[in-house]
Amino acid sequence: MARDAILAEELTYRYGELTAVDHISFNVAESEIMGFLGPNGAGKTTTFKMLTGQLKPKGGQARLLGMDVTKNVEKVQGEIGVCFETTNLYEQMSALENLNLFARLFGMRSFDGNALLERVGLPGRGKDRVETYSKGMKQRLMVARSILNKPRVLFLDEPTVGLDPTSSETIRNIILEERERGATVFLTTHDMLEADKLSDRVAFMDQGKIVALDTPHQLKQQYGRRALKAKVTGDDGGLEDREITLDTPETAEAVRKLFSQEKVITIHSEEATLEDIFISLTGRGLV
Amino acid sequence: MSLKRVGILLGKEFLHGSKGYIFIFSIVGPIVISLMISLIFGTLFTGKPTLGVLDEGNSQLIPMIQELDTLNIKEYNSTPEIRQAVESGTVDVGIALPADFDSSVTGGGKAEIEAYTWGESLAKDRSVISVTITNLIREMTGQESPVDIETITLGDEVSVPWSDRLLPVIVLIAVFLGGLMLPATLVINEKAKKTLEALIVTPTSIAEVFTAKGTVGLIVSMFMGVLILVINQAFGSEPLLLVLVLALGGIMAVEIGLILGILLKDFTSLFTVWKTAGILLFAPVFIYLFPEIPTWIGRIFPTYYIIQPIVDISQRGGGWSDIAINVFVLIGLNLILLGIVASMLRKTQRLAS
Repeated sequence: MARDAILAEELTYRYGELTAVDHISFNVAESEIMGFLGPNGAGKTTTFKMLTGQLKPKGGQARLLGMDVTKNVEKVQGEIGVCFETTNLYEQMSALENLNLFARLFGMRSFDGNALLERVGLPGRGKDRVETYSKGMKQRLMVARSILNKPRVLFLDEPTVGLDPTSSETIRNIILEERERGATVFLTTHDMLEADKLSDRVAFMDQGKIVALDTPHQLKQQYGRRALKAKVTGDDGGLEDREITLDTPETAEAVRKLFSQEKVITIHSEEATLEDIFISLTGRGLV
Repeated sequence: MSLKRVGILLGKEFLHGSKGYIFIFSIVGPIVISLMISLIFGTLFTGKPTLGVLDEGNSQLIPMIQELDTLNIKEYNSTPEIRQAVESGTVDVGIALPADFDSSVTGGGKAEIEAYTWGESLAKDRSVISVTITNLIREMTGQESPVDIETITLGDEVSVPWSDRLLPVIVLIAVFLGGLMLPATLVINEKAKKTLEALIVTPTSIAEVFTAKGTVGLIVSMFMGVLILVINQAFGSEPLLLVLVLALGGIMAVEIGLILGILLKDFTSLFTVWKTAGILLFAPVFIYLFPEIPTWIGRIFPTYYIIQPIVDISQRGGGWSDIAINVFVLIGLNLILLGIVASMLRKTQRLAS
């Protein structure tokens, strides 16, 4: 069994009277991609900051690669890569200057910035000032910066939010490549499809607590409602929708009736989405 | 703390931060102000007069002139050389001393000196040279001046030249523009652009980031302080003590700059504070601008302890014993500010967010 790259035990953080993160516990195995989902204000970013050493927990403990984050901040930060939601590059500097600066801060002796830029889809743009980049290019550069030290744990905060499909796809591919390399990935996102596609496991966070944590498949099995959705010809000749819930004692009879009594035009099964599951768990949406 | 990482960040600040307008203004501003004051009050380009000498007989007059600090002296080996030096304006006046000059003068005879004058030299410089040479020759011959001149100052007894009164203002501007405004703007910029957040998730600590920014301010502050004193020919006889005071002043400016950088969110707030609370920093200069104001008022303000030692050394020829108390007070104030900065950094774990 893979060792834990991230281990949170009763992790808690308060901003004054407000408990932003409330005694959460979870683990992320090495080379696992963990999707961290939740609406704004759920406590995702605060958790992110405690795990990356930016915030000292008010309670509990965060361990990365076996090290207590609070007590070994410098060591931990030497082993991680962080990509933020908000662009925070030195815009007056070129892309290569940005990457070289951070490579030197990580103490890297040899570093090929051009190769990394090519990998994130920015070949030949290394000497351009970042302020001339589009949002998608900046985000790809942010991802390049987060992986330049070949991190053992990669933290990504909404890495594809607001990006064009090409940039999003490039970033998703890099996330998968990093996992292949052996990195553990901690991904916070609003994008349910992205989380579903990339994550080995997902955690739902709401009001500072983790309300569910499992593989997307298991969550759908456990909390989702499977259904058959059909379009039939109505009495007036128009199309009407029919829905039959699966996995109930009445399902077989309902299916038989549908085909014997109505003219079925199309039919398909529908699986619950992660968003549906979140709504069923919390009673509200993710945004 | 890793000095290597501080060095990397320092390099980044000088390489890329130096293009910022605050950086440029903190260097150009004090120089421009200083040059303007020098031009207005006439201390610029008014160096000592220069005398060229062709000495054909090892005259005692030469070492006597060399000992003076009111004249520059240049020696030449032939008449054409000294003529050329005068014609080109390298020297204001050139004199040729014959081989028997000393024996003629000391023997009571009449010696002849051939003097060449550069047509564009200032009349006052020519006068200074001729009077000085005459006095020295009289001294060589053992004669005493038949006249005693008693100097009486007319007007205000405490009158100080305006160039001297304004020096503390320019030095404070030089030290505080670079020392305070640079670190403050660099910190605010990192916060506003959220790049500080990116730095502190690398092995770089927030203390290293602040040390680099403070060092930038200190270097610029000291460089500008020294440059302003050089431009104003106010370096005095204790340059090392002066550099020590400038360094301590620079540290105070940097510490205040870092505190403002931590507290303030944007440049607008910083400039508002600079324009309003800046009066507290510059208040002591009024006791130099207007010497009638009692000195004790200046002592209330921390920057007094920077300015007073600088004035003591550069304008009053003071030494360590004259400035020691003020320097110790300055060190004490710096330690208090350092404690505040350290405490704010410890409490500001969430600074980057």
